[in-house]
Amino acid sequence: MNEKPILVIDGIEKSFPGVKALIDVSLDLRQGEVHAVCGENGAGKSTLMKIICGVYQPDGGNMILNGEDYSIQNPNDAYARGIAIIYQESSLFPELTVLENIFMGHEMQKPITPLLKMIKINDYPSMRRRASAIFERLGMDIDLDAIVSNLGVATKQMIEIAKALTFDSPILILDEPTAALTSKEVDTLFGTIRKLKTEGHSMLYISHRLDEIFEVCDRVTVLRDGQFIKTEDVAKTNRDKLVTWMVGRNLDTLYPKIEVDIGDVIFEARGLNQEGILNNIDFNLRKGEILGIAGLAGAGRTELALAVCGLTKLDSGELYLNNTKVSFPNYRSAQKHGVDYISEDRKTFGLVLEMSVKVNLTQKLQPKISNIFGIIRRNEEDLYTEDSIKKMDIKTPDSDFIVENLSGGNQQKVSVAKALVIDPQILILDEPTRGVDVGAKSELHRIISTLASEGRSIILISSDLPEILGMCDRVFVMKEGRMAGEVMRGEMSQEKILGMAL
Amino acid sequence: MSLIKKPKLTREGLLAIIVAAFILFLSLTTNFSSKSGIYSFMLDVSPTMVAAIGLSMIIFTGNIDISAGTISGFVAYTAGALVKAGAPMIIFVPAAILVGTLLAGLNGYLTVKFKVPSIVVTLAMNMVHVGFYATFLPQSGWIENLGPRFTWFGRARLFGIIPYTFLVAVVVAAIFIFIMAYSKFGKKLYAVGGNVQSAVYSGINPDRIVIKVFFIEGFLIGISALLRALTRNEVMPSMFIGRELFFISAALVGGVSIFGGSGKITGAVLGAMFVYLITIAMIYLGFQDYYQFALQGIIILIAVFITVADFSNWKKKRLKASEGAV
Repeated sequence: MNEKPILVIDGIEKSFPGVKALIDVSLDLRQGEVHAVCGENGAGKSTLMKIICGVYQPDGGNMILNGEDYSIQNPNDAYARGIAIIYQESSLFPELTVLENIFMGHEMQKPITPLLKMIKINDYPSMRRRASAIFERLGMDIDLDAIVSNLGVATKQMIEIAKALTFDSPILILDEPTAALTSKEVDTLFGTIRKLKTEGHSMLYISHRLDEIFEVCDRVTVLRDGQFIKTEDVAKTNRDKLVTWMVGRNLDTLYPKIEVDIGDVIFEARGLNQEGILNNIDFNLRKGEILGIAGLAGAGRTELALAVCGLTKLDSGELYLNNTKVSFPNYRSAQKHGVDYISEDRKTFGLVLEMSVKVNLTQKLQPKISNIFGIIRRNEEDLYTEDSIKKMDIKTPDSDFIVENLSGGNQQKVSVAKALVIDPQILILDEPTRGVDVGAKSELHRIISTLASEGRSIILISSDLPEILGMCDRVFVMKEGRMAGEVMRGEMSQEKILGMAL
Repeated sequence: MSLIKKPKLTREGLLAIIVAAFILFLSLTTNFSSKSGIYSFMLDVSPTMVAAIGLSMIIFTGNIDISAGTISGFVAYTAGALVKAGAPMIIFVPAAILVGTLLAGLNGYLTVKFKVPSIVVTLAMNMVHVGFYATFLPQSGWIENLGPRFTWFGRARLFGIIPYTFLVAVVVAAIFIFIMAYSKFGKKLYAVGGNVQSAVYSGINPDRIVIKVFFIEGFLIGISALLRALTRNEVMPSMFIGRELFFISAALVGGVSIFGGSGKITGAVLGAMFVYLITIAMIYLGFQDYYQFALQGIIILIAVFITVADFSNWKKKRLKASEGAV
């Protein structure tokens, strides 16, 4: 490894409406190193990468590449200067072939005939040869003419890497590359990363999975709430130090759990089946309990929640509420019985982003506060809105503020407040703190604890194991649509839960 | 890993077989295969073929042009008016095509500039155009007795059977099939329609692509309108009102996904033929115009059902594929 940095990032600033995403962030990338950038969700990792790749323009600070000023306007400039990114969310075109995908936007071309040099056409034979060579380098056999939508997640990830390699970029950025991979696929990916490293590529590796950082990375830079915390050699640090830097506070304030006397079983599910998705699932929920549901992405956690609330149809299975058999043919009937669900994707399913805080908060309230002609009684609406904003401590200039411009944490508080309108006895929260900054996270946790202490029962679906450990009285672990195990609060550990989930 | 594509039956291949079977069926059961039958089929299908190519390219990017029919009216009027003023073909043809290009380009510009969905922009423009015909064009744009200087090309035939207009349509189709397969631009259309975010990440400027594709569509609408207008001795812009439905249905029947991001020019060309074969079959069977319209509508519905069905399958397939990988 060469000590001389090839990319220097100095004092980068970036704001979005309602949130400061990056405040004075600096880091340097050396030739041939794998440099981890870690931090919690919302720490600003992805924003920083998008700035390096030209998707966003920084508000301040500067970047230097190989000793020259590196200021770019769009992703093409970044590729041209030798920086390629492998995005967290699939950036592939589902209806196109593998070959078309990896050369999208930078197809190799040749003159249509030797005589007409002006007119260039796509040179498919050359692209094929090039693509074959790259996949061979990655040790992967793939049909270049396969339509991408028919391929698995891991294959898509490799295609993304192949796409980045077509640019011959000395610098590669991997944004959460393992998020959707199984452990075996992760090993293959790490093999590829080590190989690319020996070939002289420098890599920025974005991840919040600490084990991976210790496995493949040379140095690590920690961000917290958009701020630069520290850059350190991986060899000179350890897991605990990293966590302290990332979280910046101890766990007690992050997981303010209130001890509650847990009551009788209030809700029970027996033998829930949904073909290919849920496989014979039994579970129960007690009054005042926070029940965690852990598992990998795709294990069927969200699908279970949807099925329980009548948002999707069960093939078979029975639900009991207070020992009486119930069935929820649709979501409305679940809500009538006091069961409510808060989606993991608040931006798509939870909120109407373009509307005001007030409109969002009172969505489910409208039948209660309107007269027989369906006209809403404004004063009650205002009263309720002000009350919710105060109770949830939603940080908004006023109740007519557009929800889209609130920070993630405050958006999530609006989602929760909205669900509370129907006074649910059972509340299913799906990844409530995803993409939320640390401060808001601890506030949301406090809200969840309070709800449980009021005698409500909570089902908390989360991929964030510390959150499960910190908040839940009991956790169910799901794996491939089945219940893989159950752990009580006293016996919980990350290793135990992960062992069941994998 | 082979360097040569393996042939397999695509949606377009299937449609080609259906079209061929249809032609065979009509030839055996009617006098479709007579000289006049084939001639009139080629003559009728040419304008729709060319316009369907233009609409397909728009739809690839996830946009639509509801005003394609009414733009055609302006194209035809421009050509007719210039001929009446004594302009030769070398003037009135490019001028008329330019009018089409600019009007569609304006649609693209408004769509991008004001971030209004193209269906809204072009629906509004459709109404503006129709109003314009009646208000500002002399005699609502009717021009009669244009004479052979206008009609000679539209009525000329090669070997006494192939209309020149069909030759134009075939050449246009060949050029655009080539462009979509072998140009950077062609791939970008699918990228913009398939996943705008990724297109941006791939260094594509979606706004610029959308404006360009509207200009190109306008150019093709210009050619299409002339192919139809030049066969007649008079022009009346109103005869083009509603034509866009045929263009769009040809594209959709040809497997172009209304969601954008997928489809083939070949499909649109075959779709245009299919739509006309249905019409001809109904004429032979003695159905009236309105039945033909109804059937046309049903065919569009079926075509869209197929794309939607594909779409939901796609999710399932993807799930299966990812499970397979795990």
